[in-house]
Amino acid sequence: MKELSELNFPDDVMYSDDHEWTKMENDEAVIGISDYAQDQLGDIVFVELPQVGETFEKGAEFGTVESVKAVSELFLPVGGEIIAVNDALEDTPELVNNEPYTGGWMLRIKLSDKSELDQLMNKSAYLESLKG
Amino acid sequence: MVKHQPPTRTLACWCLDLKTMAYQEAWEFQQAVVRAKIEKNFSQDVILFVEHAPVFTLGRRGGLENLTVSEAFLEASGIQVIQVERGGDITYHGPGQLVVYPVLDLDRQRLGITELVFMLEEIMIRVSKTLGVHAVRNPRNRGVWVGKKKIGSIGLAVRKGFSFHGMALNVNLSMTPFEWIHPCGLANVSMTSLEKELSERPSMQAVQKLTKQHLKDVFGRSLEAITREQLDRLIKL
Repeated sequence: MKELSELNFPDDVMYSDDHEWTKMENDEAVIGISDYAQDQLGDIVFVELPQVGETFEKGAEFGTVESVKAVSELFLPVGGEIIAVNDALEDTPELVNNEPYTGGWMLRIKLSDKSELDQLMNKSAYLESLKG
Repeated sequence: MVKHQPPTRTLACWCLDLKTMAYQEAWEFQQAVVRAKIEKNFSQDVILFVEHAPVFTLGRRGGLENLTVSEAFLEASGIQVIQVERGGDITYHGPGQLVVYPVLDLDRQRLGITELVFMLEEIMIRVSKTLGVHAVRNPRNRGVWVGKKKIGSIGLAVRKGFSFHGMALNVNLSMTPFEWIHPCGLANVSMTSLEKELSERPSMQAVQKLTKQHLKDVFGRSLEAITREQLDRLIKL
């Protein structure tokens, strides 16, 4: 794996223990996986995402990411209703490797409980947790 | 005085030989170990060794299109097909195949999946080499190969930063059930075993011992035996 200093952790997203990021945009949360997570997984060959309209609680498994010979489960950092999924990942799953915070976004959700955002970490807290 | 605590990165791995166990039972036990690790019941990584009763397993995205016989034929054979959460396509497990499930804390080790796949291949290559079988990687298809035949397979899953499922090395098993599938979803791939490549039949016990030795070197970790009872107590905490 790369050194933490070689990975990209933007300031304008919040992070979870399970290495997902969340970014608020007009009352909606956009969610994806962090640069650390994509680096740990390696070349991603398939992304399995839920259907629009489904509702999940915080911490629920919402999909999987498959890299060569391994399937990793994805867990929601905040609960809510899925209002959009990134269909581009169906044909170009490598976007998650190449642009984890932009083109590789996964879900857009309407939050059930905004206070769940308070439990997420900012960049410096996330970096501390990665140093273990 | 506070005793010196070794950093957790170098903690010994606990290893347990489950002997011959039905796939379903071993799968449930693996999941229980992962759950206990997620709940931080203990911090040691766990490596399970097992031989399965005959079974076909499908990876998360695998379908029955890679069967070369009818489902009715398979049902008559008495061998179950189980779909599981690992990566990879269809495979066969049976007595005479060494299966190793490393339940590792990937974040604590700063270990990537690609590295773990490489390490598991390396272990199978070294075990084969020690016995006199020249096994290699194939850049297009992961796993371990002797010429054009596959001798060792890999399929992993990751849950909350912990790896599970693992590798399977063909030691001295019956190869017939492999003829009923396109192993790993690859048509025209045939399988081999250490027994088929050697003039003498290697014992499972000897291969397991060699695997432990090479695993220690490749993982850079020491191994400590743990009993099923000890692990069961920690799982139920």
